[in-house]
Amino acid sequence: MRAIFYIAQNTFRETIRNKILYNILLVAGIALVLSISFGDLSVFSRAQVMADFGLATMSLTGLLLAVFIGVGMLGMEISTKTIYGILTKPVTRNSFIFGKFLGLLATLLLNFLLIAAVFFVTIWILGVKQEFEIIYAVLLLVIEMVVIVAAAIFFSSFTTPTLAAIFTLGFYVAGHLNDLVNIGAEQQSDAVWRTILKLLFFILPNLENFNIRTAVVYNLPVPPGFVCSAVIYGLLYTAMLLLLSIVFFSRKDL
Amino acid sequence: MNCIEITGLSKSYQKDFWSKRIAALSDVSFSIEKNRITGFVGPNGAGKTTTIKAVTGLIRADRGSVKVNGIDIKNVAARRGVAYMSEQPYFYGHLTVRESLEFASNLLSLPHNKINSEINRALDIVELSHKSKSKVKEMSKGMQQRLNMAQAILGKRELMILDEPMSGMDPPGRRLFRNLFRQLESEGITIFFSTHVLEDIESVCSDIVVLSKGKLSYCGSVNELLKKGLAGTEITISGENQGLNKMIEGLGCKVIYEKDGTVTVIVPQDKDRREILRLMSDTNIFPLRVENRTESMEELLYGNSTGGAA
Repeated sequence: MRAIFYIAQNTFRETIRNKILYNILLVAGIALVLSISFGDLSVFSRAQVMADFGLATMSLTGLLLAVFIGVGMLGMEISTKTIYGILTKPVTRNSFIFGKFLGLLATLLLNFLLIAAVFFVTIWILGVKQEFEIIYAVLLLVIEMVVIVAAAIFFSSFTTPTLAAIFTLGFYVAGHLNDLVNIGAEQQSDAVWRTILKLLFFILPNLENFNIRTAVVYNLPVPPGFVCSAVIYGLLYTAMLLLLSIVFFSRKDL
Repeated sequence: MNCIEITGLSKSYQKDFWSKRIAALSDVSFSIEKNRITGFVGPNGAGKTTTIKAVTGLIRADRGSVKVNGIDIKNVAARRGVAYMSEQPYFYGHLTVRESLEFASNLLSLPHNKINSEINRALDIVELSHKSKSKVKEMSKGMQQRLNMAQAILGKRELMILDEPMSGMDPPGRRLFRNLFRQLESEGITIFFSTHVLEDIESVCSDIVVLSKGKLSYCGSVNELLKKGLAGTEITISGENQGLNKMIEGLGCKVIYEKDGTVTVIVPQDKDRREILRLMSDTNIFPLRVENRTESMEELLYGNSTGGAA
C-alpha cells in the first residue's frame, strides 16, 4: 500500500507539470466561455445551449487529458527507464499499475473539477437556471473519465504510446456507438454475425451509460437508480481493465 | 553459501513480429558466493545486461531459474535485500537529489524516522551532500551516477547488482567507487557488477563470471583465471610472412602480434626457451627482443584480436 501511495504521489507531481495539461485546460476554458455567445445565437434557450456545450466540452476534455497524459505516462516510464528504479525494488507490478492509475486519476480529477468549477461559476454569474440533474451529469462524466484512464493504462501495458493513443480514441468512439452495435445485432438475420456483434456489444463499454446530456438539456426525468447503476458499471469496467493491464504488464520484458 | 543461483537460464528476443528470435542467453548456470565482490565481464552483446535484468526481475526467462538468497526472483520477497544500479542513471528530472532518495526510501519501506539519517549517510558516502537540493536534470552524468550509487546503498541491502557502475565516471569518481566496494565488502555486502574495464576487476574482485555469445565461459576466482594464462617468454623477431609464422608455430610457439615487419611470439612456460632460441638461430631467425611476460586479463578474456572470451 505504501508503494502504491508513493508511486501515485510521484505520478501526480510529474503529470501536474505537463504543459499539454495546461493547453487542454486553456482550450476547454475558451470553449466554455464561447458557449455564452452561442447561447445568444441559438434558437434554444441559453441554459440549454450552455448545459449541452459545457457537458460536451467536459467529456472531450476528459478524453484528451486521458489520451495525451495517460497514454504517455506508462510509455515514458518504460522508454526513459525510470521504471527500473521502481521495479527492481520490492514493489510488485500490480502496485506500479495501481499507483500510476491513481496518480494519473488524481491529476485528471483535479483538472476536471477545475473545468467543472469554471462551468458552474459561469452559469451562476450569468444567472442561468439549471436543474439538479446537471450534478449527476458531471458525476457520470467523471466516471467516464475514470474508465478512459483505465483504458489508456490498459492499452499502454502492451503496446507503444502512439498505438495506445489511437486505441484509446477508438475505445471512446466505439463506446459511444455501442448501442448501434446492439441494434445491428438485433437486425442481423445471420446467426454467426449476430453472435459476433452481440459479443462485441458485451466486450466494448457502453459509454452512453455515462451520457445523460439530453435528459439534462431537455429537462427529461432521469430514471431512478440509473445514475447508481451507471457508476457501478463504470467502476466494474475500470476494475476489469486494470486487472487485464496487470496481466499484460506482468509478462512484459523491460 | 550462495547469494545468487542461476540455473539453465535461457532468454531470446524477437525484434519485431516477423523476425526470428535471437538467443541472448543459452543455458547459463552459475552461482555467486556471499560476501564477495564478483565481476561480470564479456564482450558487447554477450548477454551481461540480459542476465542482470533476469536477476533483478525486469525480464522473464524463457527457461531456467534465478534464485536470490534461495528465493525465486519471481517472488517479490527475493528483491527485498537487493540493490540495483543501472548503467545509465535513470531519475525523474523534476525531483531534487534528496526527493529522489526519499522516493527510493519509501519504495524500500524504510521506517519513516530513519529515512533522513539514511539519506544523509548515503549522500556523505558518495560525496554528494552539497548537491542535495539540486534538481537531478541539472546535474552532470558523473554526479547522477553518484546519486545512482547513493540510492543503491540506501537501507544497507545485502546484495548489490551493478550494471557498469563506473561508466561515465571521472578518475576521482572511479577511485571513490572502488574504495566503496571494498568498504561494502568488509561490511558483509555481496557485490556483483558488470564492467568492460578489466582493471576494475583485477583491483577489487575476488571472483569473476565471464560470458561470451550468451554462454558461460568462466566462473571462478580471478587468481585461478590468471594462472590459466599463457605466461612465458615473449620474443620479437624480424620478418613477416605465412611461412615464417607456420615455422614458428611448428616450434611450439604462439604468434601473438605482427606489425611493421616484426613478429612477436610467446614461448609457453612448459617449453625450453633456450632450445627454441637455438632452433630459431639454426633457421636464421634472430630475435630483436627477448623478455619475460605475463598474459594480461584482457588477452585472457578477449584474445589478441577477436572478441571471443577464453
